[in-house]
Amino acid sequence: MIGEEEKIKEYEIKENPLVDVAAYLFLEDIADKQGAAGMNNYLISLATSLAKSMPEEEYKTWDDFVESLERGESIISTFESVTAKTKHCMVTQKCPFERGWKEYTKRIGDFARVHKEVADYYNSTVKPGANDTQCIICQTFRAAAAERITVAKKRLKYAQVAAVAPDGSKKIAPDEWKPILLEKAGMSETDLNMTLRNNACVWILY
Amino acid sequence: MLDVALVSLIQDMSEKAGVEGTIQYWERVGESLAMRMGKEAYMGWPSFNVALREGRTAYSIEGDVTPLTDLAITDVDGDVVGYIYALKTCVFEPTMQRVRYSVGDIPRADAAVAEEYNNSVRDTAICNFCVIHQKFREEVAKNITIADQPLECVQLADRGFKGETKIARDSLKRIGINPEYVRSLLRNYACVFAILMKGARLRGEEEVEE
Repeated sequence: MIGEEEKIKEYEIKENPLVDVAAYLFLEDIADKQGAAGMNNYLISLATSLAKSMPEEEYKTWDDFVESLERGESIISTFESVTAKTKHCMVTQKCPFERGWKEYTKRIGDFARVHKEVADYYNSTVKPGANDTQCIICQTFRAAAAERITVAKKRLKYAQVAAVAPDGSKKIAPDEWKPILLEKAGMSETDLNMTLRNNACVWILY
Repeated sequence: MLDVALVSLIQDMSEKAGVEGTIQYWERVGESLAMRMGKEAYMGWPSFNVALREGRTAYSIEGDVTPLTDLAITDVDGDVVGYIYALKTCVFEPTMQRVRYSVGDIPRADAAVAEEYNNSVRDTAICNFCVIHQKFREEVAKNITIADQPLECVQLADRGFKGETKIARDSLKRIGINPEYVRSLLRNYACVFAILMKGARLRGEEEVEE
């Protein structure tokens, strides 16, 4: 039976390349018409609306929540496989957009520059944590999904620590924020750098 | 993730830009995807069909496309001018499954966009995403030549996630294929289309003219 469940999960994850690549081109079309600011707003509304369309969750204890998160049953882990590195530090091994990015670069060529330009806009106007547009969607979704979850009747909160894009570029929280985030995560800077060697994203939930 | 997010936005998009606006958006995406994939040239139908089987053509992005080489399309002189192709799994089926598991209902706008497309463009869409990949196929055909001849792609039939079907009877008549035969193909394939030489003198067309 477990094998069957794994098969379903595997099937769910493998979206069609045409859909992935078409979605990127759709976003690029928006950037052409509305510029980086317009695309940034669109991405934020896209991710927020996705989280809002999913059911709310409540957990009695932190352990119950983390177990659900790691099993992929929480809305936060719907699109990514999440492991809890410490009590509050969560790690995504593989970026949920990696497959789409690979299909894009394989079939179309270089990932359009606009994806980085919009991330620059997001980093300077919203929160400094994005490598490209994919990070904006992912991080906004996590924050909006966290707002739909309560643990021991307290609203869940999310903060981004570091992300590695499929092209290898890294975005780590600014130096002034890092000590606070690392303390909350319960890890040292060396731990963080080691974690980033074979993981795509490090974030905290509290 | 991006695909599921886009599905959840369709309702909002259709409310803001109207269903006609969504159709235009999707057609532009299909067109731009085909354009970005570049041009291809083949010496003859066998080399094109092999490239398709091996996943080397722009059409391969859709997934498992089979050239039905027993279904050659011939012109009035009996020369082969094209073939029928079939896609095993609808490109949007995995997305629909993921939406069902993670979000729930498919937005109402999905059917509304398909209906508007069927009324205003061509009666071949089952879901709103049919607009993207039917346009994509049409545009890809324009970028491929076989023996220096440009191609044309004609949508013939499709089967949706819930089992509903669309069969383009006029197009089937044009290429001289019995609709019931295509219906039987839908038992094993999700989408059936023809790729043929642009401007070929087809028997079905001659009969209509007579």
